[in-house]
Amino acid sequence: MKKLFIVTVAVLTLSSCGTVQPNLYSWYDSEDATYQYTKRASEEKLAEAMAQYKKVITMQKGARKVVPPGVNAEYGYLLVKAGQKEEGMTLLKEEIALYPESEKFISRIIKQLEK
Amino acid sequence: MKNYIAIVLMALVLASCATSSLTREARYPKMYAEKPASIVVMPPINRTTHVDAKDFFYTTMYTPLCEKGYYVFSPMLIMEMFQAESAYDAENFLEANLTPFRNVLGADAAMFTIIKSWNRSNIGGTLTVEVEYILRSTVTGETLYQREGKVKVDTSVNTGSKGLLGALLDVAATAAKTAATDKIEAGRKCTAFVLSDMPEGKYGLNYMQDQQSPAGEARITATVSE
Repeated sequence: MKKLFIVTVAVLTLSSCGTVQPNLYSWYDSEDATYQYTKRASEEKLAEAMAQYKKVITMQKGARKVVPPGVNAEYGYLLVKAGQKEEGMTLLKEEIALYPESEKFISRIIKQLEK
Repeated sequence: MKNYIAIVLMALVLASCATSSLTREARYPKMYAEKPASIVVMPPINRTTHVDAKDFFYTTMYTPLCEKGYYVFSPMLIMEMFQAESAYDAENFLEANLTPFRNVLGADAAMFTIIKSWNRSNIGGTLTVEVEYILRSTVTGETLYQREGKVKVDTSVNTGSKGLLGALLDVAATAAKTAATDKIEAGRKCTAFVLSDMPEGKYGLNYMQDQQSPAGEARITATVSE
């Protein structure tokens, strides 16, 4: 009886918040890695953040099965800054292809990087 | 005792989402009317004395908004642009015309945040973050979504030791754990809590189907364990 009561309350608690939805994207440790880099910028922290971005791009298991907004652009920008211009530019263009809303802003970034 | 447990559980059920009787459509009608697809997250407005809070808190906004189904401009690229254009102080834009953000970025809406508390209490074992979130349209200038949250993260430790020594051990362990826990944890939980009732964007699985889902109170307070 006691167990039933607890289970009922647990179900009520969960249902009162609406249904739990699957994540649209898989983020791995990218949120924490970018926070750590913001907190203390270093080559090592940047490399870790980039490694996480790469995972987000290549191992996407979220409900949408596509790279989340901004990640191709951010990783591409960092690659261009690190000297891998061709690969970086491809990713920046990929951002526009995947998310047409980004065209104005990302085209501006591409133009700046081409200078 | 049984009654006490029942009351605590009932309180938990009621407090678990602090839902009001309003639906999302009733509370946020302009979100459904304007249907913003893309959001630029503005640098937080920091009204605390903790200078780091601004940059740190900024990092908590991106993932939850993407998960809500919005196109969110890359936080790093946006921050670089704001700094280059001397637009780092969002206070100047809070009530200003936002058309430039539409023209330059193509953003449909701008998310402002005002950090009101960013505290740590080692003795009490709590991290407290209080933030107001305001989403404004770059098209009409209207406020589309506004909500405030105060989230306390409980970092207290109970070592299970008895007597005065036990109490002292608990105080020491609580202070150590609280000092070692990053305040960003409270920031992340606050953002996740507050934005949980935001209508979904175009990439969300329930886009334009969540009008009848419950909306929360305009201001929520929650204490969560780490």
